[in-house]
Amino acid sequence: MYPINVFPLVGLSDVVVGLSLGSRLFLIAVGLSLIFGVLGVLNFAHGAFYMLGAYFALSVATNVVDNFWLAVLLGALAVGVVGAAIEVATIRPLYERLESDLDQLIVTFGFVLVIHEAVRYRWGSQSYRTDAPAILDFTVQIAGSQFRAYRLFVIVAAVAVMIGLWLFITKTYFGSLVRGTSSDREMASMLGVDVPRLYTAVFFAGSFLAGLGGALAAPIQSISPALGDQVIIDAFIIVVIGGLGSLSGAFVGAMVVGMMQSFATQFLGSGNMAVPFAAMVVVLLFKPEGLFGGIGE
Amino acid sequence: MKQRNLTRYDRRTFLKTATVGAGLASVAGCLGGGGDSGVTLGAMYIRSGFASLYGEEAERGFELAVDEINDDGGIDGEDVEVIVRDTEGDAQTANRQMTSLIEEENVDGLFGLDSSGVAQAIAPQVAQNRIPLMVTHAATPFLTSPEGEHENSVGNDYVFRCSNTVTHDMYGAARVVSELDGTEWATLGPDYAFGEETWDYFRAFNEGMGNDVEFVAEQFSPLETNDFSPYISSILDAEPDGVITPLWGADLTTFLGQAEGSGWFDQIDHTLVSVGMGTDLPADGDPIPEGTHASTRYDPFVPDTEENQTFRETYVEEYDTLPTYNAEGAYRALYLYRQAIEEAGGTDADDLIETFSGMQHTGPVGEYEFNEETNQATVASIWGEVSYSDEWGSNRLEPVERYEASPEEIEDALGDSDLPTGV
Repeated sequence: MYPINVFPLVGLSDVVVGLSLGSRLFLIAVGLSLIFGVLGVLNFAHGAFYMLGAYFALSVATNVVDNFWLAVLLGALAVGVVGAAIEVATIRPLYERLESDLDQLIVTFGFVLVIHEAVRYRWGSQSYRTDAPAILDFTVQIAGSQFRAYRLFVIVAAVAVMIGLWLFITKTYFGSLVRGTSSDREMASMLGVDVPRLYTAVFFAGSFLAGLGGALAAPIQSISPALGDQVIIDAFIIVVIGGLGSLSGAFVGAMVVGMMQSFATQFLGSGNMAVPFAAMVVVLLFKPEGLFGGIGE
Repeated sequence: MKQRNLTRYDRRTFLKTATVGAGLASVAGCLGGGGDSGVTLGAMYIRSGFASLYGEEAERGFELAVDEINDDGGIDGEDVEVIVRDTEGDAQTANRQMTSLIEEENVDGLFGLDSSGVAQAIAPQVAQNRIPLMVTHAATPFLTSPEGEHENSVGNDYVFRCSNTVTHDMYGAARVVSELDGTEWATLGPDYAFGEETWDYFRAFNEGMGNDVEFVAEQFSPLETNDFSPYISSILDAEPDGVITPLWGADLTTFLGQAEGSGWFDQIDHTLVSVGMGTDLPADGDPIPEGTHASTRYDPFVPDTEENQTFRETYVEEYDTLPTYNAEGAYRALYLYRQAIEEAGGTDADDLIETFSGMQHTGPVGEYEFNEETNQATVASIWGEVSYSDEWGSNRLEPVERYEASPEEIEDALGDSDLPTGV
């Protein structure tokens, strides 16, 4: 009807945009994948934890200490504590139930509603913005496009989280306990591993990562009570594409989807939103265990 | 990198539980209660989820009006009460809530509605129920375009609107464009009817008014997008002189932050933020860069009348913030009902719609009347430049222009377009 977007341009700047999108998707999905991989709990409240991370960081920066990095750390730690408390009080009693996966889902969904209303009660429904730290408050030119340094920092942060987690899981004693317990919980228990405590620790870690993702995203997007709803679907898609419980899968899946969204926008406009879902369908059809998953392991 | 697969659940379990979760996600709702003395009105707004701020703002407005009216002797000596319900921005929910308000609460009239989609969907049911509805926010022109005028038109005798619409807003936008030096225009809007209608009417008015413009790019992002960078990148690649953006709520805040970091405001000469000055302002200050053009449905400072000044001062005293257009629209709905009920001599629905039709009214937004053909208030389009006000601690429009035009002038400005004005 009208000559719109006829010659989409795809270049290096779109690759950077894709990496940026992918980094944020990874930070959203990695904690969900970790918790699901080890505990088998599909934490529907993961998006709400991500939102809490943003709000906690905002509050810390506003009311406690005017230091962005400290606010991010304290915000993420606070979400970790909230997550651990929820696991101990409401999820732990459900592990042995026959239909525990559904029970856990209902419980965690209940917390989506509780957290959402608590956030509205405490912070209201309006959107907030928070500033990037001064040291990263400048722009960088890449291939003729302008990027905020903070956005590039988030890409680096996502890679650092990935490497850190991988080293932790594969090279440390605690990581071997996690791997062993995720493979055979009963055997680990018989060998003296305090499984309930380990589960709580993993839930803390996964919640911490959700909070970290939210806190790091706070300077990039608006913070509102809808934030949790926005990200949980993305997290599920990434986890399915990458492979349930696979950290590397979460990373690669997130980056692939980020790239797809970046490029597809140039050609499809808002149709780019269908791309992750289409990718998920393709993965489920041709590699049901996900890009990096193994069936029934 | 060595791979670890930590799961002990298969994908079937995952998908089963995810499906249940997705089903659970649609479970929500809330119910209010009401009395049966005096005049009872039913309010329907979004009070939960992505756009719940709209409902909260509206509630501030109508509560203020209820207190004022009841302190002033009520409506014909009777106290007025408002029962508010949550539409959740969903047509089915809104319809259910409306039925409940009519059948269980016996309300004498309805007002509210934020979502154009919801308003369009329930307008026929409003007529079937033979109850007046005063729309205070939803802006689609098709809501007041008489049924049959266009395939999407749903206007009928029972639906009135006191706020300005996409038609008014884009008429004003085209007037603004005619005064600017940019010729190549694009849009970045929300990916649903409101975003598309805004772009359609923007183009139609510019063409109809003979502005020297061409349209070079369009991008529509889904609601609740948390990263606009690919859309921003695509628009910047097209190098337009100006962009009209009807993004709103948290989407607008997110977009503005990301646009600023992408050099948007250095590269794009003119950004027109449709309805950018309103309920969407973040709690902590000044998201829209100074000098950006933005519109609103109501401005707390213009017209500079006693009604507007009094309302502004009362509102600030009560809530410690400037009134938004959603608050003013809901506030004014109460006064419209008071005037209509007192003129009609009661709350009979058919008497009320007859009174509303062609009724003249003066409120904070100014003087206007309801067009008998469409039931749309002849309110102005309001555009201005964003500037930060130290006095109020927030953005305001200054300078600000009210583009007043008769329904006929607006019709003419659309030129050959077959879009209905709904004014």
